[in-house]
Amino acid sequence: MKRILAVVVALAVALSLTPPVGAQQDTMAKIKESGVLTIGTRTGSPPFAYINKDNQWVGFSIDLVEQLVKPAVEKEVGRAVKVEKKESTPPTRIPLLSANSVDLIAGTMTDTPQRREVVDFSLTFFYTGAQFLVKKGSPIKGVNDIAGKRIASQQASTNAKIIRERYPQAQLREFPDQPAAFQALLQGQVDAFTNDGIQLAGLKAKAPNPAEWEIVGDFYSEEPYGMAMRKGDARLKAAVDGGLKNGFESGKYFEIYEKWFGPKGELPYPLTATVKAYLLKQIGK
Amino acid sequence: MNYQFNWSVLWSGQSGGWLLHGLLLTLAISVLAWVLAAVLGIVSGAMRTVPWKPLRVIATFYVEFFRNVPFLVWMFFWYFGVPPLLPRVVQDWLFNHSAEFWAGMFALGVYHGARMSEIIRAGILSIPRTQFEAAVAMGLTTFQVYRLIIVPIALRLIVPPATNDSLNLLKNSSVALTISVAELTFQARQVETYTAKAIEALTAGTVIYLVLCLGIAAIMTRVERRFAIPGLIARGG
Repeated sequence: MKRILAVVVALAVALSLTPPVGAQQDTMAKIKESGVLTIGTRTGSPPFAYINKDNQWVGFSIDLVEQLVKPAVEKEVGRAVKVEKKESTPPTRIPLLSANSVDLIAGTMTDTPQRREVVDFSLTFFYTGAQFLVKKGSPIKGVNDIAGKRIASQQASTNAKIIRERYPQAQLREFPDQPAAFQALLQGQVDAFTNDGIQLAGLKAKAPNPAEWEIVGDFYSEEPYGMAMRKGDARLKAAVDGGLKNGFESGKYFEIYEKWFGPKGELPYPLTATVKAYLLKQIGK
Repeated sequence: MNYQFNWSVLWSGQSGGWLLHGLLLTLAISVLAWVLAAVLGIVSGAMRTVPWKPLRVIATFYVEFFRNVPFLVWMFFWYFGVPPLLPRVVQDWLFNHSAEFWAGMFALGVYHGARMSEIIRAGILSIPRTQFEAAVAMGLTTFQVYRLIIVPIALRLIVPPATNDSLNLLKNSSVALTISVAELTFQARQVETYTAKAIEALTAGTVIYLVLCLGIAAIMTRVERRFAIPGLIARGG
């Protein structure tokens, strides 16, 4: 009983010491002081960020932070920095960022003009587009076949927004996370699940019977993934961009890409020439 | 890092319409679920006190099962668990006709029915045993005693706790967003997605829930005054 009481008291003290929400502070100064870079990332979005079979939190986005961004931040603050991971989902990630709970969102966030009004984005680190996951042989072959069909999407995603605005004839169903939307597809609650092609490829690979499913349609949206920071967090942005730029230049980025998306990677998804050119164009190459 | 408030996002563009739609859907699902919960609650609450064991066992099973299952799990159960048991044709028909709404409504109603049941039972148990005996002595059957005397008195006694749980029901309806019901919380978050103004959008949601709940509480206070039984329930104020 005493021990429980002690834990409760300790928790209460710890909570009261947490800095108040919205406190203004330069993120780099905070990192310099605490030696911790807190990132918001995903737990169920392989291969970008997920909990693997050995219960480790890994992924492409996490590797980019650990191997490219972290060294750049360390160089800037002049001390060793530890990367701390917190879960963030599409509906929670901007609030987490504005509440100072995390400093950097590194997961699967699309860089859009609208979001740029509230957060700053790093260089694009991945490029994909929205497609559909359907049962093999489905009449849905692309975005022009979805009228009257039940389409699952993820709440608060750009794809859901596009379908709602441009294809109102489709019956849109919005689920809070990928597993729920995929479950709805598996059971036939919906006819197709729309999401970024790369995410669908990940889900398909993990499905009980991958051969039963196929990914169809041309990209009907462009989804450049960026890492997000609080607006005006210039020093952090410079460090993050610097780290990524270094990765593109040194080829380290492409090694990490190969590790996750290469033929032997977690999810084979070859880097097309167009996408590679797009990524390199950002650093003037 | 200064947060720029911009409250006009709530009425510019489509935000207002979305919030209104969300509000209507929240009301629709809550009212239907409340009716279901009230019926289930009254029937099972009364059944738990009758002098015939099989009925008591059934009602006890219902209450203990549903109040001990997390509501979210139970919501998923209705949406993901039940449909595969139906024939494919029925499933397709349902999925094209707001299966989400009905699954959410049943989950909410059945779950809160179990909680309502305990409240009704408490009300019935607080009625002096002599009332039951006097009614039976007058020649009423057990069913008549319940229908004409016990349940009406119990309902007048339980207004405060029933109000409490009705408010919980209304607020729990927000869980239905996990199965794609576009109710108020869902719409508030949609406003947030479109405008990226989290504080404004969620404040709007909060205020709407608050006004709804305070309104219901105010009405129920009047109902309570109107129907209180002098001598059986102490009146404050």
